[in-house]
Amino acid sequence: MKMLGEVAAWAFFAVVVGVLSVWPRYEIIDRGNAIVSLTFSHAAERVGECRMLTQEELNKLPPNMRKPSDCPRERHPVRIELRSADVVLYEDLLLPSGIWSDGKANIYRRIVVPAGEHDLSIGMNDSGGASGFDFEAADRVDLHAGRNLVIRFDEQSQEFLIR
Amino acid sequence: MIERVHSIGRGAYELLRRPLAHAFDSEQNPLNYLGALTIFFCWIVLVSGVWLLIFFRTSVSDAFESVEYLTHEQWYLGGVMRSLHRYASDALIITILLHVVKEFIFNRYRLNRWFNWVTGIPLVWMIFALGITGYWLVWDELAQFVAISTAELLDALPIFTDSMAGNFMSDELLSDRFFTLMAFIHLIGLPIFLVFGIWLHVFRLNGPRINPPRRMMAAALLCMLVLSAIYPAISHEQANLAMTPQLLRFDWFYLHVYPLVQRWSPGSVWMLLVGISVVLTIAPWAPPARKTTVAVVDLDNCNGCRRCADDCPFGAIEMVPRSDGTNYTHQAEVDDELCISCGICVGACPTATPFRSKSALIPGIDLPNHSAADIRQQIVGQAIVATSSEPRVMVFGCRDDRQTERVRKAGANVVTVRCMAHLQPSYLDFVLSRDKADAIMLLGCEDGNCNYRLGAEWTEARIARERDPRLRKRTDTTKIAMGWVTPWSNIVDPVKRLDAFCNALLNRDGET
Repeated sequence: MKMLGEVAAWAFFAVVVGVLSVWPRYEIIDRGNAIVSLTFSHAAERVGECRMLTQEELNKLPPNMRKPSDCPRERHPVRIELRSADVVLYEDLLLPSGIWSDGKANIYRRIVVPAGEHDLSIGMNDSGGASGFDFEAADRVDLHAGRNLVIRFDEQSQEFLIR
Repeated sequence: MIERVHSIGRGAYELLRRPLAHAFDSEQNPLNYLGALTIFFCWIVLVSGVWLLIFFRTSVSDAFESVEYLTHEQWYLGGVMRSLHRYASDALIITILLHVVKEFIFNRYRLNRWFNWVTGIPLVWMIFALGITGYWLVWDELAQFVAISTAELLDALPIFTDSMAGNFMSDELLSDRFFTLMAFIHLIGLPIFLVFGIWLHVFRLNGPRINPPRRMMAAALLCMLVLSAIYPAISHEQANLAMTPQLLRFDWFYLHVYPLVQRWSPGSVWMLLVGISVVLTIAPWAPPARKTTVAVVDLDNCNGCRRCADDCPFGAIEMVPRSDGTNYTHQAEVDDELCISCGICVGACPTATPFRSKSALIPGIDLPNHSAADIRQQIVGQAIVATSSEPRVMVFGCRDDRQTERVRKAGANVVTVRCMAHLQPSYLDFVLSRDKADAIMLLGCEDGNCNYRLGAEWTEARIARERDPRLRKRTDTTKIAMGWVTPWSNIVDPVKRLDAFCNALLNRDGET
C-alpha cells in the first residue's frame, strides 16, 4: 500500500513536470497579425555649427589640445514617424545617448499590424527641424500572418531599408 | 505580519505534506530532502548535458540540426538524454521552489541561517540563467522568442549602447560567434559559478545533506526516465527571423517572466525581479527580530571531549586550547553568531546527566534559558503515578513543533525540549530506571523533518548506541518509540500515534 502511494506521488510529480513544461501554450501575437520591427542607431546632426579657432585662441590652449575647430558635442534628438497609408503606426522623439547627449539615438520597436497589404512610409528628422523629414522611404508590402518585416537605417548608404 | 504569512504558508504546505506523509516513510519523504533532490537533479542535468555537448554544433545553421539529430536519429540515447536534460531541469525548479517556501514558512532563514538563505538567492538566478541559455541553444522558434525577449530585457539595462535585440531582426545579422558565446556561458561559465555557489550555500553547515537516500535517487531518476520515454522533448520549427513565432509550447518553469516582458515594459519586469530578490535578501532581518540566548560553556564541567562540536548542526562550536590551566588540552568555544540555541550540544555532552544527586546539574555546555536542570525538573514534574493498568507514557516534544502542543492538549504528560537531540540519552534511562514512566515516546518534528537539521539523525544513532553519548545498555529500547521512525511514523496524527504505542505496550504486556 505504501509502495503504491510512493509510485502515485512520483507519477504525479512527473505529470506536473511534463505538463507545465509545454502547457498551456503561449500565443505571442494573435493569428492574423504581423510584426513591423523598427530598429537602428543613428547619430543626429550636432546642435550647432563648428567654429574655426583663431590663432590667438589656439595659442592659449595646451599644445596637445590645439584642434583647429570647436564643435558643440550635443546632438539633436531624432524624430521618426512610421505610417501605414494615413495611419500613424509609431512616432517618437529619440534622445541621443551619452551623458553629454553626443551619442547615437537608438530605436527598437516591434509594432503589431494586421496581416495584409500596407503602404508603409517612414520618415526621420535628425537636424532639429520642427516639420518635414531629412530621410524618407516608402514601400507597398504584403505582410502575411506571422511575417516580421524589418525597417533599418543603413548608415553607409544613408537610406532606410525595408525588408 | 510576517508570522501571519508563515501561518498561511504552513496551512497551504499542509495540503502537500499530508498526502506525502501517508505515501512515504519519513526517511523516503522527498519533502525532507528538497535541497539534496535539487542537487541530484543537477547531476542528471550535468550528465545528460555532457552527452548532448558531444553532438552539439555551435553555429546558426548547425545548432538546430544537431539537436534534431539527437532527438530523432539517436532517439534511443540522445533523445532520452535530451528529455532527461529538459525534465530534470524543470523538476529542480519545483524542488527549489518548495525548498525556499519550506525554509521560509518554518522560519529557517533567520538568525545564523541568513547565510544559507542569502547565498541561495544568486543560485536561483544562476539556475534560471542556465535554463534560459539552454533554450536559446536549440535555435528553434521557442529559442528565437527567448533570444529576442531576453535581448529586450537586457536592452533595458544601461549596459549596451546599441540595441542587442536589433541583432535578432534578420538571419544575416546573426553570427556563429554568438552561438559560441552562448555555449560558453551555458556549458562552462554558469556551471562553474553554480558549483561554487552550491558550495558556498552549504559550507557553513555541519554534515550538509548533499545526496538524498539511494532509493529516492533511483525513484527520481526512474520518474524522469519514464517521463522522457513517454513524452520525449522535441523542438519547434527551426528559428526563422523573417517570421514571428505565433503559438509556442511554453516551458512555464523557466520562461514565466517572458509573457510579462511582452505585456509590461522590460524595465517593469526588472523592477519586479530585482524587487523580489531584494525583499528575499533582507527578509532574515525583517521584524520581529527574534533574539536568542546562545549555549554557554562551563569550564569546570567541560573536559574538551569535542562531542558538542561534532554534533552541532551549524558548526557553531570550535575546540580551542584550554584557558583555565587544567590538564585537559581543549575546551569548547561557542560562536555567538552561529549558535541557534537548538540544545543539540547539551544532548551531546556526557556531563549533562540527570543522575547527579550531590552536585548541581551544570553540564559542560548548557542553554541558560532551557537548561539541563530545567529538563530534569520537567521530568520530575511530569512523573506519572500508576493508577490503572494503562501504560504510563512520558512524551518528549520539540518546542517549535506543533505536535507537542497537540499531544499536550490531548492530556499526555509532555516534557518540552528544544530538539530531540537536546535530550541526552541518560534522561531516557533516568525516566525508566527512576520509574517516572513505563515508556517514552519521542515525538520529534513532524515527518522527521527536524527543525535543526540533524536532531532526528543524532537521536536515532544515540539510542541505537552507535553515536556518543550512547544510551546505557540496561535501558530497554522497546520502551522507547521515536515518532518519526516506522512503524510509528505511518500514523500521521500524533495523538493516534501515542494511542497506538500505548496499545502496543498493553498487548505486549498481555502476551508476557
